[in-house]
Amino acid sequence: MNAENMQKPRVMKESKNKIRVEFERTSLKERLKARFLNVSFLMNIVWAIFRYVLLVGVSYVVLYPFISKIAASLMGPNDFVNATVRLIPTKVNFDIYKMVFIEMEYMKAFWNTLFLSASTALIQTLMCCVIAYGLAKFKFKGNNYIFYLVMFTMIVPHQTVQLSLYMAFRYFDILGIFQFLGGGGITIFGKTFLQGVIDLAPETSKIWSATGLNLVNTYWPLIILSLVGLAFKNGLYIFMLKQFFRGVPDELEESAYMDGSGVFRTFIQIILPLSIPMMITVFLFAFSWQWTDDFYTELFFTTTKTVLMPDIIGIPTTLETNYAGQSLYYAAIRNTCGLMIIAPLVIMYLFCQRFLVQGIERSGLTAD
Amino acid sequence: MTGEAKLNNVSSKKATPKKKKIASLDKRKARAGWFFVAPFLVGFILLYLPIVVESIIYSFQRIHTIQGGGFYTEWVGWANYQEALFVDPDFVSTLLTGLQAMAFDIPMIILFSLFMAVLLNQKMVGRAAFRAIFFIPVILSTGLMEGIEASNILSEYMESAEGIEDGSGQSSAADIVSAIDIQRLFANMKVGQELVEYVTVAINNIYDIVNRSGVQLLIFLAGLQSISPAIYESCQIDGATSWETFWKITFPMISPMILVNAVYTIIDSFTTQSNQVMVFISKVYEQADGNVISAAMSWIYFLIIILITAVIAAIVSGYTFYQRKGE
Repeated sequence: MNAENMQKPRVMKESKNKIRVEFERTSLKERLKARFLNVSFLMNIVWAIFRYVLLVGVSYVVLYPFISKIAASLMGPNDFVNATVRLIPTKVNFDIYKMVFIEMEYMKAFWNTLFLSASTALIQTLMCCVIAYGLAKFKFKGNNYIFYLVMFTMIVPHQTVQLSLYMAFRYFDILGIFQFLGGGGITIFGKTFLQGVIDLAPETSKIWSATGLNLVNTYWPLIILSLVGLAFKNGLYIFMLKQFFRGVPDELEESAYMDGSGVFRTFIQIILPLSIPMMITVFLFAFSWQWTDDFYTELFFTTTKTVLMPDIIGIPTTLETNYAGQSLYYAAIRNTCGLMIIAPLVIMYLFCQRFLVQGIERSGLTAD
Repeated sequence: MTGEAKLNNVSSKKATPKKKKIASLDKRKARAGWFFVAPFLVGFILLYLPIVVESIIYSFQRIHTIQGGGFYTEWVGWANYQEALFVDPDFVSTLLTGLQAMAFDIPMIILFSLFMAVLLNQKMVGRAAFRAIFFIPVILSTGLMEGIEASNILSEYMESAEGIEDGSGQSSAADIVSAIDIQRLFANMKVGQELVEYVTVAINNIYDIVNRSGVQLLIFLAGLQSISPAIYESCQIDGATSWETFWKITFPMISPMILVNAVYTIIDSFTTQSNQVMVFISKVYEQADGNVISAAMSWIYFLIIILITAVIAAIVSGYTFYQRKGE
């Protein structure tokens, strides 16, 4: 090939849409060299290895407790005295699962908790959406202050209001209405008037009496708290959703208004379908945090009549031992209870994690 | 809605049409806004405010239970607070150690979650799987599991090399082996005792830190997603290294999220049930019959949280960069 050809690539074939040009390619060796033997490529490789080592390491830290729990749950009591047995049991043994399932009334706890968690999580997701949408998209006087109030409910530790929270639902009342209708009269500054004027409360009612409604040991306290966005971590959900709604362009709503859609219809038909991944994220949080919650359930369920998840943690009577390794075996049983509690959550997470990641990607949280 | 629209039309005919209409739309939107936040407001005023006020009142009272059931209260003024701060031997020291632990944990959590978020935001094989694994603790390791984990001798046993069990309830392998190894390694390197301790504590706490940085990771990831790729592209064209890009672009753009996360981490770690001070307060709550000193303690604690949150938020927001200043 001469110099002229080098400068001007030869056109091999020409049709209406395609041309094929032949030109001098650098040899394969040179190309590989240029591609792989430079600093940036090496740095990339080193970085990738470092990244994977780190990620796998931290994943191990996250997963290890679960692995060790599963291993321990399959061991028999003898394995804990045997110093040569660590993560792998000598004989796979499903005793603990069986006994927890039968003796601790797992299925009862499962259905009760499922009902409680699903209903409160659903209500919380919807109510937080409504509240957050109001805070994000409407400018009115006091908007900011209401958001501060939301933050306030998040900051007050729930232990602080524990006693009063219990009292509020033990003697539940709205502006004294239930007390009055129940025959308790009206209390103003410690003095009671009109006692027994009206008594609508049925005699047989365990809930309604002259002191208001006794909602302890029912699902109502948690449902009421969810309805007004005051339940566990609702401040966080409202914050997340508020940031999400802020990222939704205003033009979307404006065009809906132009087409004659009202504010609420726009919210239900345009905004909510748009925010489904984010809503699933919030639902996932609300559901699983309610599922594993022990603070509210222990506060509001003082008797063991309603079996919930916290009640199944314990030692089944048939598994009690007095031999060596007792404390470790009991620890293993308690951990197995934990595993059985979270098992449904794991299954749900496997289905929902796609939405969780998607929710993050679409959320585009913007700072205010 | 239609009636309102008609009214607007009528009024807009009379006066300057354009201005009136905009004002009424704003008003209508404001009304709708109030309607949307109404559930929260109603709940806050009717339910939460009385609870909070009552709790504050309790902290100034002493409750006496009557034998037949019921109780009466006695106003004792600041006595509960005095008892909490000056009489109770453990409260102040628990509070101080709790605060100390927080001072260590909070920067660790924020740094860790920021670092992990940057890693998980990069394109690579298996990113979705890693993300799914990293969010497991948020979903699973709360509440009950936290309680089980708090007094768990099983994990120590599993990690120990020789844990002969004598039935006394105490595993002989009290310490994690890996931490001892690292201590030895650092001691040989002669880098100073403080650093060794810091690193050891960090490693011993790594599970705790990973567990508690789930939500922060989520917020950081979402923040990173919102940075426009065009900015990175132009940086690349201008020849910036990824190190420079991180400090000049990513870090300022994510700084509002750092503020959010700092506040969230403080609140979360102060109010979580495994927090030492919270454990202490609930222990006092359970053993005290009629003595509401725990209410006084938790209000002192709450004031401290608010103070720290406000101070840190003020400091961090001074360094925060906002892209849209006007908003």
